[in-house]
This record gives sequence, structure tokens and C-alpha cells, in this order.
Amino acid sequence: MNYLDILEAEAIYIFREVAGQFKRPVLLFSGGKDSTVLIHLALKAFYPAPLPFPVMHIDTGHNFPEALRFRNALVEKINAQLIVRKVEDTIREKNLPDPQGKFPSRNALQSYTLMDAIREFGFDACIGGGRRDEEKARAKERIFSFRDPSGAWQPHNQRPELWDLYNGRIREGENVRAFPISNWTELDIWQYIKREHIALPSIYFAHKRDCIVFQGRWVAVSEYVTPDINDEVVNTTVRYRTVGDMTCTAAIESQAQTVDDIIAEIEASPISERGATRIDDQISDAAMEDRKLKGYF
Amino acid sequence: MDILRFTTAGSVDDGKSTLTGRLLYDTGNIKSDILETISGDEGLNLAHVTDGLRAEREQKITIDVAYKYFSTSHRKFIITDAPGHFEYTRNLVTGASNVDVMIILIDAQNGITAQTRRHSMVASFLKLGKVVVAINKMDLSDYSQDVYERIKEEYLQIAAKLDLHNITFIPISALQGDNVITLSPKTPWYIGPALLELLETYKPPMHQYAGLRLCLQYRIDDNTFAGKILSGTLHSGDKILIHPSGQAATIGNIIHNYDNVEVAHAGDNISITLQEGIILKRGDIISHARDIPLTSDSFDADLCWMDSSSALDLQKTYILRINTAETECIVSDLKFKVDIDTLEKYSDKEPLTANQFARVGISMQKALAWDHTATLPENGRGILVDPVTNNTVGAFVILQA
Ligand SMILES: Nc1nc2c(ncn2[C@@H]2O[C@H](COP(=O)(O)OP(=O)(O)O)[C@@H](O)[C@H]2O)c(=O)[nH]1
Repeated sequence: MNYLDILEAEAIYIFREVAGQFKRPVLLFSGGKDSTVLIHLALKAFYPAPLPFPVMHIDTGHNFPEALRFRNALVEKINAQLIVRKVEDTIREKNLPDPQGKFPSRNALQSYTLMDAIREFGFDACIGGGRRDEEKARAKERIFSFRDPSGAWQPHNQRPELWDLYNGRIREGENVRAFPISNWTELDIWQYIKREHIALPSIYFAHKRDCIVFQGRWVAVSEYVTPDINDEVVNTTVRYRTVGDMTCTAAIESQAQTVDDIIAEIEASPISERGATRIDDQISDAAMEDRKLKGYF
Repeated sequence: MDILRFTTAGSVDDGKSTLTGRLLYDTGNIKSDILETISGDEGLNLAHVTDGLRAEREQKITIDVAYKYFSTSHRKFIITDAPGHFEYTRNLVTGASNVDVMIILIDAQNGITAQTRRHSMVASFLKLGKVVVAINKMDLSDYSQDVYERIKEEYLQIAAKLDLHNITFIPISALQGDNVITLSPKTPWYIGPALLELLETYKPPMHQYAGLRLCLQYRIDDNTFAGKILSGTLHSGDKILIHPSGQAATIGNIIHNYDNVEVAHAGDNISITLQEGIILKRGDIISHARDIPLTSDSFDADLCWMDSSSALDLQKTYILRINTAETECIVSDLKFKVDIDTLEKYSDKEPLTANQFARVGISMQKALAWDHTATLPENGRGILVDPVTNNTVGAFVILQA
């Protein structure tokens, strides 16, 4: 079998295992490329029936408008139920400090909103687009990742996961994060997007944007990121390799207009996806691991 | 282009991480920002590529399985980097359960150790199709053919005991890169292959069994059932049997992706309808009448105990799973244990604890349909789950009814 067929088969199998083993799954969808591929795979997995679960966006309020528009359009097109829960509301309800500063990241706060939503709807499985090649802690996580009632990942006590036997048995209040595209690389994602003609938000492709430089990376000027007096605002041609928050996702200089251009660009790129695009993980070697311990995706 | 999955096993400090780093580095698969994080005062620390968790970086050992991805122009590779310590054997079993090839590293200076035997035991338990014995740190043994031959001879005796076949021995230096990507001039006595060459060309035995096994996962709507073809070929209109009930039916539509298809093959995830409108269940296995699976409510199996917080309890009811089929069971009979360091069979009064292997008899609350491991491994193995903690506590491979 061709490698894309192998990866697709694995993902579809996992989707059906989630549907077969859980009462109330939800698919986490942000409008980014990985979760868009997830939706595409889920549609295949359950055809001719519609998705047997809702999709949910944990909205930090710092989104790219293009990604939000894309999210809404796709959800409408496939006739899925969209649940949006806002970090802003969590901040207000729980009286949490809203991160300030030049790049105020609500990334870590998403965990609270996610856990609240899990409890509100009684979700027992959250399907996410995490990939093991993204980051060191992710590389260690199981495909069915067991989380205790607080959502915490226990990296040193993970369930054995043999062959394609995924153990989704949990008690009330516990939940599982399921990662159908665990074994896909960034390049696999793009090859698949090309093969399946999957549409994406425009910000993945080269466009003109006002940016400032932060730690050697381009960050877009927006209502959430205000330049200092010392910053030089440059209108330059960029694209995004990942779509996260406007406050913690950097753009890369790129002329890639098409999926083919992007594939060529990634193949030639000397830098990893997270390295090129995430500001939040530059802070500590274990940033992702720490977030996961607190219930993060 | 296809995908090959392999794992590296060996004792601590035998060079697993260095080898992984070497493979990634020499094939141009480490991006420069990652290179920065693994460069230190003493230059590049290739081993650091795989140490994902904070505790691992602090203790400088590998605790759990990590996955790494790289590709060459021939193939895509998934490396399962599994731990070497005894107490993490169960994580090695997890990691190795999905690989095509296990690379067992042996430090040429230390020779075969208890860990070598233990990791070989895991390969044997999982019935892996290919073992590569990489005799590492040859640079510290003057690339000596004698050292290599001695270790090879000794290993072949272990392999015979464990019924391991299809073994390739390669003398390497992970640190210097000898015989990793290309053959090294420092070992003119070694005719090959280099490790990467083997990984690029090895063909895993796949889908060899011709009999149809369709394992059902999920009911998509009133008449449509999703499942995976484990082996064989299915045509629409086929007369089939549903196991374990043995009920006969006729295939209506076969749906693969968004298409109605006439025929589907091993490895395909499909949905089907039945002409008779019979309701299928998760866990059902479909076959043709001419080659049916075995159906029984008990069997003998090799069991690896995986739970560190509880021992095997012969009085206790566990949940048993083979593919998507589930039933309650008891492990009724502990025939003997296997000492994973000496590979000898023994019996004692102690219960089976984490990381130990045994031959057992299992009695199930209802009959399931399964196949001999030699026929169709995918339908001849499973897990035990503790119904109270919900932990996966054991893994087994069926031997006979
Ligand atoms: N001389 C020599 N040293 C090696 C070789 N491979 C690994 N090492 C060293 O052995 C030590 C342990 O290696 P590491 O890859 O961390 O072992 P692991 O515990 O199996 O992952 C490190 O200091 C490596 O630099 C080799 O081929 N030759």
C-alpha cells in the first residue's frame, strides 16, 4: 500500500474505534490544517452517515479571522454541529488573570475552558489533530491517551497500547484524548491535502501582511499584538505553517501560492514546524509537557 | 513509497539513542532548530534527539516509547524508540507490537547481556518477522571480526531457543556512522548490508493469508456496518458466515471511502450492508464458509503481564479483547513462567507480575472467533483489561484451543 493509504486507513480505523467505544465523543476543530484533515478523514470513516459527534472549538479570542471564517463555512458545508467555548468566558467566570504584555498568550488557559466544556457536555473522548512529529512530549503520547478527571496526562504511567487494540474503557469523569493522525508528519499532511483536494484557510498560502520581528520571527500586527515604538512594521510576503493564536504563531517568509509550492518549500526547509512558528514553546524545553500535565490537548 | 516501522532495543548506554540520531542526521532528517537544542559544549549529542520527557532528560534514560519519523527516497520510516530498563519492558512490548523490524543493539565490548535476551524474548513473544542484531561500538573494539563472530555465534544459540528466525547481524559504530548508512571501509570483512540499506529493502510479510476475515467495529446506520478486512478478499454478493454465531448471510453493498465497490481487500476499512438485513455487532468476524476461523471459549496462550500495580490473579475476572471482540475471562491455569534473563521455563508459587512472561490457559465467558498466530497474527492475539481500574494489564498470543 502507498504510505498515504496506510496512514489514512490507520486514522479511519481509529475514528471508528472512538465511535465504537465511547458514548459522547467530540472532535476538536480549530480551522487549522490538521483538524481540517481530521474532519475529512471522519467524513470518510462514517460515510454515508453524517459525523456521529459534534465538533468543538476552544476559542481563545485571538484567532485569525480567516481561520474562523473557514471554520464556520466548513462546518456549515458538512452540516456538523459546532460548539464554541470561549477562553474569555472562562477568564471572567473563574476570575483568572488575562495574560498581558506584547504577546498575550491564552494558550495555557485553553485547558480550563476545554475541561469545563468536557464536563458541561459529558464528553468522554476528545479527538484531536496532534501529531507525534510536532513536538517531543507529543512523540511519547499514546493514540488513546487516558486523562484523569482533571484532564491530566500521566506520561510515566500510560496504558500499554498494543497492536491496534485501543483500550477506551474509563470511569465516569475520566476521558480519553484520541489522536487519529499521530503518525502523520507535516509533509504527509500536505501530500494528503494535495491528493484529496482539501481546502484550507487562505493564511496557509503566501500573502502580504504587516509584521514585526520578534526573536527572529515574523509576527503579524493585529488588534492583539501592538508594536512598540522600537518595532519596525514591515509589509512583507508571508504564510503560516501552523494556525494557532495570532499572539503566539509566527509567520514565515514565503512565496508559496499553491499546495505544490508548499510541499516543495517544506521539503527544502531547514527548520521544523513548531520551531518556525511557535513562540510559546521557545520559553522552555518542557513547555508542551507542562501544558499536557494540566489537561491541555 | 510505503512505510516501514522499526524499533531499537538494547541495554542502557548500548547506543540506541545515538543510532536513532545518526540515522536521522545522516539522512538529512534533523531540522536546524532541533539541531540547536541537541548541540552542547561537547558538540552534537545525537542521543538527545529522542529524549522527550523532562524526567528522561534529567535521568538520562528512556522511560516510554517515543516515535520519530524520517524518510529517504525509498521509504518512509517510523522509529519506535523503546526503553531498555527491566522495569519498562512492558513499554518495550507496547512499542514493539507495531513494528516490522526490531534492531537489537549489543555493545561489542560487553557482549550479550540479560537485556539482550529479554529483548529477544519480546521479539519472539510478538512473533516479529525480522530481527537485526547490530553489534555497536565496533570502533572501541578495533573493528575486530573476531569480536563480531563471537557475539554472533552466542546470539544464534539464543535465537534457536526462542525460535527466532530471519536474523541479520551488522557490525556498526553508531557514533562514527560505520555500516549505518553505507558500508564502512573499516570492516572490509563484512559483506553487508549496511543498516539503512536493509531497512530500505526489507519486505515485511503482509496479507499472506488468503481466507477472508472482516472484523466489525461500528454500526454506522441501521443497515451499514463499518469494519476492517484483516485478510482475504470480499466481493459484493458473497455468501458469508458471521462468527462466533455462525449465522449465514449475503453481502449487499461494499462502501470504501465514498464509493460503492465490487471488491475490497486486506487492509481496507470498509462498510457493508447485508441483503438479509441481519444486524451485525461490534466484535463480529465475517468469513467465507470455505475457510472459517476457530471458535472456542478457551485456549492456551503466551501471556506478558504489563501492570505494575497488580499481579495476575487466577481467581479474578478480566476483560479479554481480540480485535474488537470482548468478553469476560479468567486465566484459569498458569502452566509455567519463562525466566526472561535465562530463557528457561520454571514454576514457583509466586504470582505473575509486571514484565514477566508465562504460558497460561484462558477460559472465556463466551466463545470468540480467532485464528492461529501462524495463520493470521492479527486475529490470534489480544489484551486483558482489569475491569476495576480499566488498565490494560496483559497481552497474549494464542497458541492452541
Ligand atoms: N565509541 C562509541 N560510543 C558510542 C557509540 N554509540 C553510542 N556511544 C556512546 O555511548 C553512550 C550511550 O549512548 P546512548 O545512545 O545514549 O545509549 P542508549 O542508552 O542506548 O540510548 C554515549 O556516550 C554515546 O556517545 C559507538 O558506536 N561508539
